[in-house]
Amino acid sequence: MIGFWDVIARSESGPLVKEKEFDLHLGRVAKQLVEKYNIVYDPEQVVPADDGLADRVYQASLDLFLEVGIYCRDTGRVMQFTRQEVDWALKQAASTVTYGQGRDEAVMRCRSVEDSKPPFCLMTPVGTPVAEERFVPLVQSYVQEPLAQTFSSAFSQTVHGRPIKSGTPQEVEAAIWNVIKLREAARAAGRPQIGIHNLISNAERTDAMLAAMHTDFGAQSNDGLCIAAIAELKIDYERVKKVVFLRHSGHNKYGLYGPLMGGYSGGPEATAIVHVAHHFLGLLVFDAQWHCGFPLPIHHGCNTTRELLWLVSVTAQALSRNTRLLITVNTFAEAGPCTEMVAYEIVASALAATVSGADLDLAAVARNRHPDRASGMEARIGAEAGHLAARQGIPREQVNEMVKQILNQYESQIGNAPMGRRFDECYDLDTLQPTMEYLDLYERVKEKLNGFGLNYSLLNVCGTPAR
Amino acid sequence: MQVILLAGRYGTRPELPAGMSELEELRGDETIMNMNMGKTLFEEMVAATVAMDEERCVSLARKAVNEGVDPFEAIQNGFARGMQIVGDKLAKLECFLPEVMLSADAMNAAVEVLKPHLVQRVDRGSQGTIVIGTIQGDVHDLGKNIVKIMLEAAGFTVHDLGNDAPVRQFVEKAQEVGADIIAASALMTTTMAHMPDIDGMLKELGIRDKYYVMLGGAPVIAEWAGEVGADGYGEDAAEAVETAKRLLQKKMRR
Repeated sequence: MIGFWDVIARSESGPLVKEKEFDLHLGRVAKQLVEKYNIVYDPEQVVPADDGLADRVYQASLDLFLEVGIYCRDTGRVMQFTRQEVDWALKQAASTVTYGQGRDEAVMRCRSVEDSKPPFCLMTPVGTPVAEERFVPLVQSYVQEPLAQTFSSAFSQTVHGRPIKSGTPQEVEAAIWNVIKLREAARAAGRPQIGIHNLISNAERTDAMLAAMHTDFGAQSNDGLCIAAIAELKIDYERVKKVVFLRHSGHNKYGLYGPLMGGYSGGPEATAIVHVAHHFLGLLVFDAQWHCGFPLPIHHGCNTTRELLWLVSVTAQALSRNTRLLITVNTFAEAGPCTEMVAYEIVASALAATVSGADLDLAAVARNRHPDRASGMEARIGAEAGHLAARQGIPREQVNEMVKQILNQYESQIGNAPMGRRFDECYDLDTLQPTMEYLDLYERVKEKLNGFGLNYSLLNVCGTPAR
Repeated sequence: MQVILLAGRYGTRPELPAGMSELEELRGDETIMNMNMGKTLFEEMVAATVAMDEERCVSLARKAVNEGVDPFEAIQNGFARGMQIVGDKLAKLECFLPEVMLSADAMNAAVEVLKPHLVQRVDRGSQGTIVIGTIQGDVHDLGKNIVKIMLEAAGFTVHDLGNDAPVRQFVEKAQEVGADIIAASALMTTTMAHMPDIDGMLKELGIRDKYYVMLGGAPVIAEWAGEVGADGYGEDAAEAVETAKRLLQKKMRR
C-alpha cells in the first residue's frame, strides 16, 4: 500500500529533472506508446465501439504514467510509482460519492459502457464571468433544473463593486461571498440542501478557499472543491495544500484535468493516453473521489470537435472498462446560448460521454470566456440527451452514427461560432425561465434529433424524463 | 545514480518528424534561388531546423561563418525559415509542441554561433523584442509557453518571465531589455484582474508610449483587453503572433 504522505514525500525525494525535459519526455513516451499499442484515431468512428482500442488506451496510459511520473514544480522532482502502487490506489478508489443532504441528496455511482443507468448530472456555468447583480439568478437557472444533482459557480466580475484580484484581501472576501451566494441561489430554487461540487471558483489561493469553507457561510459537510493538475501531469504545492485540508475536513474532492491536444502530449491518440494517466495522478496525489476531464484542442475553446469527441469517448471507455472510477466529462462548447449550434454541440458531447460510461458536467459555452453568456438551459439540453441515451439503451455504434449526423449540423462553424444571447436576453429575469425564442429553438433541435434516433417522447411535458 | 539514468532518458531526442517534403517546395522558391549563396546551404539550414537537429544546425552556422555568408541572411533565409515551416505545421496540427520546442532549440544554438558576427546588424536578426509572462497569481503557463514558442518561431526575441509574474516585473524587464511589446497571459478569471495594472503602471511611470501591451489567455476576450488599455490581443497563439507583427509594423511607421 502507499499512503498519502508517502506519495507527497516523493515530491521531495524523486529524481531532479528540468521541467522542459519532463515535457519533452512526456511527448516522446506518449508518441512511442501510440505506436506500440496501435492506437489510431478514425474520424468515422467518433464514438468507437472497439473494446480492444479502449483497453489498449488504458494499458498505454498505465505504461506512460509508470514511465513518466508526475512533475512537482515546487521541487523540480519527478514523483515515480510502481504498478503495484497504482493498482492498490485503484482498488481503494471510491465507487460512490454522495452530495447534498435530506431530500436534495444525490449519489454518484460508477457507470459502465452502454450503461442503462442515467448519467449523474452536475450543472454549472463553469466560472463564466457574470455581472454581480446577475450572479444569483444565473446560478439559480442551473440549480432549478430538475435533472441537476449538484451545481457550482459562475464568476462574479466584482464583489461589492470591487474587482477580485488573486492574492489580495479582496480575494478572501470574494471567496466567502461566493459560497454565501451559491447557497442563496440554492434556497431561491427551492433546493436548499443540494450539493455544491465546487464551492469556490473565484479564488486561486488556498487561504481564500479555506476561509470560505466555514459552515456558517453555507458550505455543507459534503460539498466540495476541485483540485486541478496545473499542466500535463504536473502538480504544485498550492493545490496539494487544499487536499490536506479536505482530507481533514471531510468535504468531497475531485480531480480536474484539461490536457491540451496539440500541446506537450501530441495528437488525439497521445493526448488520450495522457488524459487517462491524469486519473492516476488524481487518485494518488489529490486523493480524488471522482474525476472531471475537459480536454481541449490547442486552437479552439471547445471539446466538441470531431477529434475531441473521439478523445472523450475513448478515454471514458478506457476508464469505465478497466476501473470503477467515477468519471465525468466537462463539455466545453464553442457557440453561445440560444443558438442551434450550442444545442447540437452539447448533445453530441453528452451522447458520446454517456454511452462511453461517463457522467456529465454541463456545461461551459461561448468558449467559457464571454461575460453573461451561459444559462441553465444548456445544462438541461445536455442532461436530457444523456438521460435519453441511457434509458433508450442506445449502443455505441448507433450513437456514433447519431453524433456524426449532429456534427454535420455544426462542424463547419467551429472557429467562427455564433456567440448567441446573454443570460438576460435568453431568460426572463422575472420568472427565471428561458424565453420563448430559446424554447422554440430547442423544440426545433429536438425534432431534428428525434429524426436521428433520440426519442424525446420519453420526456414528459415538463421536460423531465417520465418516471 | 538514479538522477544520471533519468537525465539520460529524458535527454533522448525524439524521432525525426515526417514532413521534410517542404524542402521540395523550397527548391522552386525564388527567394531562395536569388540568394547570394548556394541554395544548398540555406536548404540544409531549413532542413536541419525542421528536423530538430541541433548539432547539424550548429555545424551549418559555423560553415556559414567560415564561408563568409551574411549571418543575417543565414538566420532569415535558413534557420528562421525552418522555424516558420515548423510553426505552420503546428498551426495545422501536423506536428506538436515538443517538436516545435526542439526545432527552436536547434535554431537558437545556431544563432548563438552567428551572433558574434552580427554585432552591427543584430537588430535585423530579430522581428522585435517581447517580454512575456503569466500574470501574478497564475501558475498556468502552457498557453503562454505556446505563444512564446510561436513568437520565437516567427523571429521575435522573447524574454520569458515564467508564471506568477508581478506587474512590476513586466515593466522592469521591459525597461531592462528595451522591449517593444509587453505580453501577459492568464488562465484564471481571478488572475486576469491584475492585467489592467500593466497599462496603469506604465502610465504612472510616464512610459506608456514606449511599449505596446498585448493580453491573452483562456478567460480574456478582445473587448475586455481593449477596455483595460491593451494595444493587442490574441485569441490563440497564431493570432498573438499576427498581432505582434502588426504592432511592430505600426511601431516602425511611427
